[in-house]
Amino acid sequence: MKIRRLVIATHRDIGYFFAGLTVLYAISGVAVNHIDDWNPNYVIRREAVEVGVLPFGEPAELGAEVLSRLGVTEEPRSVVRMNREELKVFLDQRTLTVTLPGGHVVDEHVRRRFAFFEVNFLHLNTGKGFWTWFADIYAVGLLVLACTGIFILPGKKGLGGRGRWLLITGLAIPIVYLVVAVWR
Amino acid sequence: MKRFLILSMALIAMAAAPVMAGESESYGEGVTLDEAMAIDVLLANPNDYVGRKVRVDGVITAVCKKRGCWMQVTDPESGNGVRIKVEDGVIVFPYTSMGREAQAEGIFEAIKLTPEQVEARTAAAHDHQEGATCDKDGPKSPAAGTGCDLPPIDQYVYLIRGTGAVING
Repeated sequence: MKIRRLVIATHRDIGYFFAGLTVLYAISGVAVNHIDDWNPNYVIRREAVEVGVLPFGEPAELGAEVLSRLGVTEEPRSVVRMNREELKVFLDQRTLTVTLPGGHVVDEHVRRRFAFFEVNFLHLNTGKGFWTWFADIYAVGLLVLACTGIFILPGKKGLGGRGRWLLITGLAIPIVYLVVAVWR
Repeated sequence: MKRFLILSMALIAMAAAPVMAGESESYGEGVTLDEAMAIDVLLANPNDYVGRKVRVDGVITAVCKKRGCWMQVTDPESGNGVRIKVEDGVIVFPYTSMGREAQAEGIFEAIKLTPEQVEARTAAAHDHQEGATCDKDGPKSPAAGTGCDLPPIDQYVYLIRGTGAVING
């Protein structure tokens, strides 16, 4: 009985401690799972604009002319002539791709997807360093949660009955999938 | 428990501080080579550098939108660029870093294109349907040096298998 009390207390405290992070990781997990269908980190919006025929000139001059015609006062990060027919003007969270000399502009606005960027930053461990350590501790915490969770309930609802079958089913699903998808 | 909470927050702030401080951000192993190779030189004689560790400096002109698993570093003078490909998840280049100056290094690689890829690239560059022959007598693209005037597409693409980079703030 003492062991069971210890198991319950451990499960409870670790559960409380990691509950918030588990929710964040779950949200990110779903978001990243569907990366083929959407961009979970950024919202990218494009629009086409015509600024008219542009004169010959150096990239910086052309960039300034395009910005002037668009009424943008922001100083560009950089202006690069990619080839004879394309100029790129990079602003903060905005890129203008200009066709030369015609003046067709693809105006791309980028912003971080609210909340998702941050949860993905954590979940995918983009920052490395400290987070690598904390995420490792979290992984050990999940392992402890799983192991202690199995032994919380005694009797028919625990490993002696329903719990056993749920445990076996949960293990069988990934194994069957691997047999079909990988090990065949 | 309140003390535990305050102590945890203080430790996290100290541990994360180096990431937040400083204007340049280092990715992966950062940059270890002192000398950068001019991108024009690298692409003019690529076979001389295949398999070698090289560093290139330039402006970031494109980044992998969803995974940040590559970025294009371009020489702003010539417009020539080279792709820095990194392992997914090991290094993640932010999409919002486009237009910033960067130094990147890694192993220079040549990747042979399949015949289908060569055909698709040729068709796109010469502005005709895949499988069709370029019509030299047909209407030319507006600018000289485009369309049928382009030389045949290279059988190889060149990239740097990136080990690290520094992106200026």
